[in-house]
Amino acid sequence: MKKNQTDHFLSEEDVSIRDMDWDELITWWNLWLEQAQVTNDIDQHEYSHGVFRHEPPCPVKNKARR
Amino acid sequence: MVFNKNINGLAVQVNTNIYLRLTDEFNAGKLRAVICSGQAAVLHRIAIMSKDGDWILRENKETCRHVLSVLQNHGAHYRFGAPLDIRWLARGWSSHFEFDSGGMRIRTDFFTRPPRIANDELPALWNDQAGKNPPFVDMATLARLKQTDREKDYAIIGELAQQMENNADQLRFSRSALDLMRLAKQHPALVRKLVKERPLLAVISGGSRENIETALDAERRVMIHRNENRLAEFESAAGRWRKHWPELARIISGLPLLKAHAVLVKDALKYLPGTAA
Repeated sequence: MKKNQTDHFLSEEDVSIRDMDWDELITWWNLWLEQAQVTNDIDQHEYSHGVFRHEPPCPVKNKARR
Repeated sequence: MVFNKNINGLAVQVNTNIYLRLTDEFNAGKLRAVICSGQAAVLHRIAIMSKDGDWILRENKETCRHVLSVLQNHGAHYRFGAPLDIRWLARGWSSHFEFDSGGMRIRTDFFTRPPRIANDELPALWNDQAGKNPPFVDMATLARLKQTDREKDYAIIGELAQQMENNADQLRFSRSALDLMRLAKQHPALVRKLVKERPLLAVISGGSRENIETALDAERRVMIHRNENRLAEFESAAGRWRKHWPELARIISGLPLLKAHAVLVKDALKYLPGTAA
Protein backbone atom coordinates (compact mmCIF):
# COMPACT_ATOMS: atom_id res chain seq x y z
CA MET A 1 0.00 0.00 0.00
CA LYS A 2 1.35 3.46 -0.85
CA LYS A 3 2.41 5.34 2.25
CA ASN A 4 1.59 8.82 1.00
CA GLN A 5 -1.93 10.16 1.49
CA THR A 6 -2.82 7.87 4.31
CA ASP A 7 -3.62 8.05 7.99
CA HIS A 8 -0.81 7.81 10.52
CA PHE A 9 -1.10 5.85 13.74
CA LEU A 10 2.28 6.06 15.41
CA SER A 11 5.05 8.63 15.60
CA GLU A 12 8.12 8.61 13.39
CA GLU A 13 10.12 7.69 16.47
CA ASP A 14 7.97 4.58 17.02
CA VAL A 15 8.30 3.31 13.49
CA SER A 16 12.02 4.06 13.19
CA ILE A 17 12.72 0.54 14.49
CA ARG A 18 11.79 -0.66 11.01
CA ASP A 19 15.13 0.49 9.63
CA MET A 20 17.32 -0.93 12.37
CA ASP A 21 19.46 -4.02 11.93
CA TRP A 22 18.95 -6.84 14.44
CA ASP A 23 21.66 -5.72 16.88
CA GLU A 24 20.41 -2.14 16.82
CA LEU A 25 16.87 -3.34 17.46
CA ILE A 26 17.94 -5.45 20.45
CA THR A 27 20.02 -2.62 21.88
CA TRP A 28 17.17 -0.11 21.48
CA TRP A 29 14.64 -2.61 22.84
CA ASN A 30 16.75 -3.25 25.96
CA LEU A 31 17.29 0.45 26.49
CA TRP A 32 13.55 1.05 26.19
CA LEU A 33 12.81 -1.73 28.70
CA GLU A 34 15.32 -0.25 31.15
CA GLN A 35 13.86 3.23 30.82
CA ALA A 36 10.32 1.90 31.18
CA GLN A 37 11.19 0.70 34.69
CA VAL A 38 10.52 4.23 35.96
CA THR A 39 6.78 3.52 35.76
CA ASN A 40 6.96 0.35 37.87
CA ASP A 41 5.41 2.01 40.92
CA ILE A 42 2.52 3.36 38.87
CA ASP A 43 1.55 0.02 37.31
CA GLN A 44 2.57 -2.15 40.26
CA HIS A 45 -0.89 -3.69 40.69
CA GLU A 46 -2.01 -3.62 37.05
CA TYR A 47 -2.03 -6.20 34.28
CA SER A 48 -1.30 -5.48 30.66
CA HIS A 49 -2.35 -8.90 29.32
CA GLY A 50 -4.65 -11.74 30.23
CA VAL A 51 -8.02 -11.76 31.93
CA PHE A 52 -7.22 -9.80 35.08
CA ARG A 53 -7.03 -6.03 35.45
CA HIS A 54 -5.81 -5.38 39.01
CA GLU A 55 -4.19 -7.33 41.79
CA PRO A 56 -6.21 -7.50 45.01
CA PRO A 57 -4.74 -5.43 47.86
CA CYS A 58 -2.19 -7.66 49.50
CA PRO A 59 -0.34 -7.11 52.81
CA VAL A 60 2.52 -9.40 51.72
CA LYS A 61 4.88 -8.60 48.86
CA ASN A 62 5.18 -12.00 47.25
CA LYS A 63 8.73 -13.24 46.77
CA ALA A 64 10.11 -16.58 45.72
CA ARG A 65 13.24 -18.57 46.34
CA ARG A 66 15.10 -20.14 43.46
CA MET B 1 22.17 -8.04 27.32
CA VAL B 2 24.80 -10.47 26.04
CA PHE B 3 24.79 -14.12 27.04
CA ASN B 4 26.47 -17.31 25.94
CA LYS B 5 24.36 -19.62 23.84
CA ASN B 6 25.36 -23.14 22.89
CA ILE B 7 25.05 -23.48 19.13
CA ASN B 8 26.17 -26.85 17.74
CA GLY B 9 28.46 -27.35 20.71
CA LEU B 10 30.04 -23.90 20.43
CA ALA B 11 29.61 -21.19 23.05
CA VAL B 12 28.53 -18.17 21.04
CA GLN B 13 27.94 -14.70 22.49
CA VAL B 14 24.50 -13.52 21.50
CA ASN B 15 23.07 -10.04 21.80
CA THR B 16 19.58 -10.68 23.10
CA ASN B 17 17.03 -9.52 25.59
CA ILE B 18 15.20 -11.13 28.46
CA TYR B 19 12.07 -11.96 26.45
CA LEU B 20 13.95 -13.63 23.62
CA ARG B 21 16.07 -15.50 26.13
CA LEU B 22 12.99 -16.73 28.01
CA THR B 23 11.39 -17.77 24.72
CA ASP B 24 14.51 -19.81 23.93
CA GLU B 25 14.35 -21.46 27.33
CA PHE B 26 10.61 -22.19 27.13
CA ASN B 27 11.17 -23.81 23.74
CA ALA B 28 14.24 -25.87 24.64
CA GLY B 29 13.91 -29.17 22.79
CA LYS B 30 10.48 -28.42 21.30
CA LEU B 31 8.08 -25.61 20.50
CA ARG B 32 5.96 -24.80 23.54
CA ALA B 33 5.57 -21.02 23.57
CA VAL B 34 4.85 -18.36 20.97
CA ILE B 35 5.46 -14.67 21.69
CA CYS B 36 2.38 -12.54 21.30
CA SER B 37 1.07 -9.04 21.90
CA GLY B 38 3.54 -6.27 22.82
CA GLN B 39 6.80 -8.08 22.21
CA ALA B 40 5.44 -9.52 18.95
CA ALA B 41 4.76 -5.92 17.86
CA VAL B 42 8.47 -5.21 18.37
CA LEU B 43 9.45 -8.26 16.33
CA HIS B 44 7.14 -7.08 13.54
CA ARG B 45 9.00 -3.75 13.75
CA ILE B 46 5.81 -1.86 14.62
CA ALA B 47 6.67 -0.21 17.93
CA ILE B 48 8.14 -0.80 21.37
CA MET B 49 5.25 -0.13 23.72
CA SER B 50 5.13 -2.85 26.35
CA LYS B 51 7.50 -3.80 29.13
CA ASP B 52 5.80 -7.13 29.89
CA GLY B 53 6.05 -10.37 27.95
CA ASP B 54 3.24 -12.70 27.05
CA TRP B 55 3.12 -16.05 25.38
CA ILE B 56 0.59 -18.47 23.98
CA LEU B 57 1.45 -21.90 25.37
CA ARG B 58 0.71 -25.37 24.14
CA GLU B 59 -2.10 -26.74 26.23
CA ASN B 60 -0.45 -29.77 27.81
CA LYS B 61 0.98 -30.75 31.18
CA GLU B 62 4.57 -31.06 29.99
CA THR B 63 4.56 -27.47 28.73
CA CYS B 64 3.25 -26.15 32.03
CA ARG B 65 5.84 -28.11 34.02
CA HIS B 66 8.68 -26.97 31.77
CA VAL B 67 7.68 -23.29 31.80
CA LEU B 68 7.30 -23.35 35.58
CA SER B 69 10.80 -24.86 35.91
CA VAL B 70 12.28 -22.16 33.69
CA LEU B 71 10.52 -19.47 35.71
CA GLN B 72 11.66 -21.02 38.98
CA ASN B 73 15.27 -20.86 37.75
CA HIS B 74 14.76 -17.13 37.26
CA GLY B 75 13.39 -16.74 40.80
CA ALA B 76 9.88 -15.90 39.59
CA HIS B 77 6.86 -15.76 41.86
CA TYR B 78 3.16 -15.93 41.07
CA ARG B 79 1.17 -12.75 40.72
CA PHE B 80 -2.58 -12.91 41.28
CA GLY B 81 -3.95 -15.12 38.53
CA ALA B 82 -4.75 -18.71 37.66
CA PRO B 83 -2.32 -21.57 38.27
CA LEU B 84 -0.27 -22.45 35.21
CA ASP B 85 -2.24 -25.65 34.77
CA ILE B 86 -4.34 -26.79 31.84
CA ARG B 87 -7.44 -27.19 34.04
CA TRP B 88 -7.64 -23.40 34.25
CA LEU B 89 -5.83 -22.38 31.07
CA ALA B 90 -8.26 -24.47 29.01
CA ARG B 91 -11.07 -22.37 30.41
CA GLY B 92 -9.43 -19.18 29.18
CA TRP B 93 -7.76 -18.06 32.41
CA SER B 94 -4.31 -16.48 32.32
CA SER B 95 -1.29 -17.03 34.61
CA HIS B 96 1.07 -14.26 35.68
CA PHE B 97 4.55 -14.18 37.15
CA GLU B 98 7.19 -11.64 38.10
CA PHE B 99 10.89 -11.68 38.83
CA ASP B 100 13.89 -9.40 38.94
CA SER B 101 16.52 -9.57 36.22
CA GLY B 102 19.50 -7.29 36.63
CA GLY B 103 17.43 -4.73 38.49
CA MET B 104 14.58 -4.86 35.98
CA ARG B 105 11.09 -5.99 36.93
CA ILE B 106 10.16 -8.71 34.47
CA ARG B 107 6.55 -9.79 34.12
CA THR B 108 5.47 -12.85 32.17
CA ASP B 109 1.89 -13.65 31.21
CA PHE B 110 0.60 -16.91 29.74
CA PHE B 111 -2.51 -18.38 28.22
CA THR B 112 -3.38 -21.29 25.95
CA ARG B 113 -6.70 -19.91 24.66
CA PRO B 114 -5.87 -16.53 23.17
CA PRO B 115 -8.84 -14.16 22.99
CA ARG B 116 -10.62 -13.82 19.65
CA ILE B 117 -8.76 -16.81 18.19
CA ALA B 118 -10.99 -19.86 17.68
CA ASN B 119 -9.78 -23.16 19.06
CA ASP B 120 -9.83 -24.76 15.63
CA GLU B 121 -7.38 -22.08 14.42
CA LEU B 122 -4.74 -22.98 17.01
CA PRO B 123 -3.26 -26.02 15.23
CA ALA B 124 -2.45 -23.79 12.23
CA LEU B 125 -0.83 -21.24 14.54
CA TRP B 126 1.46 -23.93 15.98
CA ASN B 127 2.22 -25.36 12.53
CA ASP B 128 3.13 -21.91 11.19
CA GLN B 129 5.57 -21.31 14.04
CA ALA B 130 7.33 -24.68 13.83
CA GLY B 131 11.05 -24.16 13.27
CA LYS B 132 10.91 -20.37 13.67
CA ASN B 133 13.32 -18.64 16.01
CA PRO B 134 11.97 -16.66 17.71
CA PRO B 135 8.40 -17.86 17.24
CA PHE B 136 5.90 -14.97 17.33
CA VAL B 137 2.34 -14.57 16.09
CA ASP B 138 1.76 -13.33 12.55
CA MET B 139 0.38 -9.86 11.84
CA ALA B 140 -3.24 -10.91 11.36
CA THR B 141 -3.27 -12.88 14.62
CA LEU B 142 -1.57 -10.02 16.44
CA ALA B 143 -4.17 -7.58 15.09
CA ARG B 144 -6.96 -9.77 16.51
CA LEU B 145 -5.21 -10.11 19.87
CA LYS B 146 -4.93 -6.33 19.95
CA GLN B 147 -8.70 -5.82 19.62
CA THR B 148 -8.81 -5.09 23.33
CA ASP B 149 -10.46 -2.46 25.47
CA ARG B 150 -7.41 -0.17 25.29
CA GLU B 151 -7.40 2.72 22.85
CA LYS B 152 -3.65 2.49 22.24
CA ASP B 153 -4.00 -1.01 20.78
CA TYR B 154 -6.03 0.34 17.85
CA ALA B 155 -3.06 2.48 16.79
CA ILE B 156 -1.01 -0.73 16.67
CA ILE B 157 -3.70 -2.46 14.60
CA GLY B 158 -3.72 0.52 12.23
CA GLU B 159 0.03 0.36 11.79
CA LEU B 160 -0.03 -3.43 11.41
CA ALA B 161 -2.68 -3.20 8.69
CA GLN B 162 -0.50 -0.78 6.75
CA GLN B 163 2.33 -3.31 6.86
CA MET B 164 0.18 -6.28 5.79
CA GLU B 165 0.83 -7.53 2.30
CA ASN B 166 -2.43 -9.39 1.80
CA ASN B 167 -5.30 -7.22 0.52
CA ALA B 168 -7.92 -9.25 2.35
CA ASP B 169 -6.03 -8.79 5.65
CA GLN B 170 -5.73 -5.06 4.97
CA LEU B 171 -9.50 -4.92 4.48
CA ARG B 172 -10.07 -6.97 7.63
CA PHE B 173 -7.95 -4.77 9.88
CA SER B 174 -7.31 -1.33 8.39
CA ARG B 175 -8.12 1.59 10.71
CA SER B 176 -7.54 4.17 7.95
CA ALA B 177 -10.51 5.61 6.03
CA LEU B 178 -8.19 6.72 3.23
CA ASP B 179 -6.66 3.26 2.84
CA LEU B 180 -10.09 1.61 2.92
CA MET B 181 -11.40 3.96 0.21
CA ARG B 182 -8.42 3.09 -1.97
CA LEU B 183 -8.83 -0.65 -1.34
CA ALA B 184 -12.54 -0.42 -2.17
CA LYS B 185 -11.72 1.05 -5.56
CA GLN B 186 -9.01 -1.52 -6.29
CA HIS B 187 -10.76 -4.66 -4.99
CA PRO B 188 -14.57 -4.26 -5.10
CA ALA B 189 -15.26 -7.99 -5.33
CA LEU B 190 -13.07 -8.71 -2.32
CA VAL B 191 -14.85 -6.01 -0.35
CA ARG B 192 -18.25 -7.60 -1.14
CA LYS B 193 -16.89 -10.98 -0.06
CA LEU B 194 -15.58 -9.69 3.28
CA VAL B 195 -18.59 -7.57 4.29
CA LYS B 196 -20.10 -10.47 6.25
CA GLU B 197 -16.88 -10.76 8.24
CA ARG B 198 -16.48 -7.00 8.76
CA PRO B 199 -19.81 -5.12 8.39
CA LEU B 200 -17.98 -1.75 8.26
CA LEU B 201 -16.85 -2.62 4.74
CA ALA B 202 -20.43 -2.07 3.55
CA VAL B 203 -19.90 1.70 3.83
CA ILE B 204 -16.45 2.05 2.24
CA SER B 205 -17.49 1.81 -1.41
CA GLY B 206 -18.64 5.28 -2.32
CA GLY B 207 -18.75 6.43 1.30
CA SER B 208 -17.22 9.76 2.30
CA ARG B 209 -14.07 9.85 4.38
CA GLU B 210 -16.08 11.33 7.24
CA ASN B 211 -18.68 8.53 7.12
CA ILE B 212 -16.00 5.86 7.08
CA GLU B 213 -14.18 7.49 9.99
CA THR B 214 -17.44 7.59 11.94
CA ALA B 215 -17.96 3.92 11.20
CA LEU B 216 -14.38 3.13 12.26
CA ASP B 217 -14.92 4.94 15.57
CA ALA B 218 -18.16 3.06 16.17
CA GLU B 219 -16.52 -0.25 15.28
CA ARG B 220 -13.69 0.43 17.72
CA ARG B 221 -16.13 1.20 20.51
CA VAL B 222 -18.01 -2.05 19.85
CA MET B 223 -14.75 -4.04 20.08
CA ILE B 224 -13.75 -2.19 23.26
CA HIS B 225 -17.11 -2.94 24.91
CA ARG B 226 -16.98 -6.56 23.79
CA ASN B 227 -13.61 -7.03 25.47
CA GLU B 228 -14.75 -5.19 28.60
CA ASN B 229 -17.69 -7.60 28.83
CA ARG B 230 -15.39 -10.58 28.31
CA LEU B 231 -13.09 -9.44 31.12
CA ALA B 232 -16.05 -8.67 33.39
CA GLU B 233 -17.17 -12.29 33.11
CA PHE B 234 -13.74 -13.51 34.21
CA GLU B 235 -13.66 -10.93 36.98
CA SER B 236 -17.00 -12.12 38.26
CA ALA B 237 -15.96 -15.79 38.09
CA ALA B 238 -12.75 -14.98 40.00
CA GLY B 239 -14.55 -13.30 42.91
CA ARG B 240 -13.87 -15.97 45.55
CA TRP B 241 -10.31 -16.47 44.29
CA ARG B 242 -9.64 -12.74 44.60
CA LYS B 243 -10.94 -12.71 48.18
CA HIS B 244 -8.78 -15.68 49.08
CA TRP B 245 -5.63 -14.36 47.40
CA PRO B 246 -4.14 -12.22 50.23
CA GLU B 247 -4.15 -15.27 52.53
CA LEU B 248 -2.71 -17.46 49.78
CA ALA B 249 -0.02 -14.89 48.94
CA ARG B 250 1.08 -14.98 52.59
CA ILE B 251 1.36 -18.79 52.47
CA ILE B 252 3.32 -19.01 49.20
CA SER B 253 5.60 -16.05 49.82
CA GLY B 254 9.19 -17.28 50.03
CA LEU B 255 8.41 -20.70 48.55
CA PRO B 256 10.21 -21.85 45.40
CA LEU B 257 7.82 -21.51 42.48
CA LEU B 258 7.09 -25.22 41.99
CA LYS B 259 6.13 -25.58 45.65
CA ALA B 260 4.05 -22.41 45.48
CA HIS B 261 2.36 -23.81 42.40
CA ALA B 262 1.33 -26.98 44.22
CA VAL B 263 -0.27 -24.89 46.98
CA LEU B 264 -1.98 -22.68 44.42
CA VAL B 265 -3.49 -25.62 42.54
CA LYS B 266 -4.85 -27.15 45.73
CA ASP B 267 -6.64 -23.92 46.65
CA ALA B 268 -7.70 -23.06 43.10
CA LEU B 269 -9.63 -26.33 43.00
CA LYS B 270 -11.77 -24.86 45.79
CA TYR B 271 -11.97 -21.22 44.72
CA LEU B 272 -11.42 -20.81 40.96
CA PRO B 273 -13.69 -22.44 38.38
CA GLY B 274 -11.73 -24.63 35.99
CA THR B 275 -12.38 -27.59 33.76
CA ALA B 276 -12.33 -31.24 34.77
CA ALA B 277 -8.82 -32.69 34.94
